[in-house]
Amino acid sequence: MELGKTLVRVRITGQKVARKVGVVKKTKIADLLKQLGLNRETVVVKLNGKIVTEDERLSDGDSVEILPIVTGG
Amino acid sequence: MLKCDFCGRHAVYNRRYAGVFLCDRCIIKSVERRFRRAMGKYKLVSPGERVAVAVSGGKDSVTCMHLLADHCERKNCELIAVTVDEGIKGYRDRSMSIVRENAKLLDIEHFAVSFRKTFGATLDQIAMLAKRKKTGLNPCTYCGVMRRSLLNQAARELGVDKLSTAHNLDDEVQAIMLNYVRADFSRLYRLGPGYPSREGFVPRIKPLREIPEKEVAVYALLKGIKVHLGVCPYAGGIHTEIRDFLNQLETNHPNSKFMILRMFDRMKPHLARSVPEFELCECKICGEPTSSGMCKSCELLREFGLGLKRKTIISGKSR
Repeated sequence: MELGKTLVRVRITGQKVARKVGVVKKTKIADLLKQLGLNRETVVVKLNGKIVTEDERLSDGDSVEILPIVTGG
Repeated sequence: MLKCDFCGRHAVYNRRYAGVFLCDRCIIKSVERRFRRAMGKYKLVSPGERVAVAVSGGKDSVTCMHLLADHCERKNCELIAVTVDEGIKGYRDRSMSIVRENAKLLDIEHFAVSFRKTFGATLDQIAMLAKRKKTGLNPCTYCGVMRRSLLNQAARELGVDKLSTAHNLDDEVQAIMLNYVRADFSRLYRLGPGYPSREGFVPRIKPLREIPEKEVAVYALLKGIKVHLGVCPYAGGIHTEIRDFLNQLETNHPNSKFMILRMFDRMKPHLARSVPEFELCECKICGEPTSSGMCKSCELLREFGLGLKRKTIISGKSR
């Protein structure tokens, strides 16, 4: 683990496995989404089981669930 | 932890286009207020009317059904639900059970109509035929035209005064942009919160038109409404490109979607002068209203030797 980095557990709804992602400490969820190539307009995020805004900052060991909301054609 | 700008509770949503953070209670109240405001401002439903809501099982339509159920109860209106089963294996079959569950919970009569029974083929079969015949048309083109036609027919047969669809702000802005890109003036002109009645057409209403897609999703999740979040296997093409473009625009420049909608609504009265008057007649094959001799559904399906099989399409109901 790099200095100043933190590990968070990320699960995207619909995908079977969760993965661990390294982010800079105190990174905003919005930046994590960018890192994952996701647009904030298309997802709702749960942090440790609770719906939060993408402006919340991440801490070591946090669990992030990403629910894609755009489903139609 | 970020706080709600109105009550100081834990914020769950950043309404970036308005520069405010909202907690669970405030976002729920706000969505419900916007729904009621659209119903009132555009006079979408009058007391005593019979209303049908088109429900696919997705977050928008199920949420719309819940909001309408409450509204109709207070306004003494009758609400029924209609689902079109396009015949998409592994997708629609799953969402149909969610619609039934919600309709039962709300004590709403639910009707289902299907492509297979009405037109003689499922969308999966039509998509395969289109590929084989190299029509160059996306399955969404067939689905959109046939679903619109079937919903109108079902609504007419069920004797409703209004047919509600669950188009949200994102859907409406995508439609505006799509019609610009296609230079389709008459379809562009027809967009709006409600589409007035013409002979053979049941008036349509869109009560979620001024609510962003993400707010509908957050509302459904916070209210614990059971919805289907599966992705349509046919999603793609220009619709998706426009949607991605608009989402990127909104991320970089919050409020863009509302501005596009507001601009269109301001332009719409001026467009009326440029839209030519046209007479409606009956489609020579299925009898549905059309501006030419043959409706778009029959025109598309004729190539495959398919078409409207029966005059009456409602086969069963459940409650």
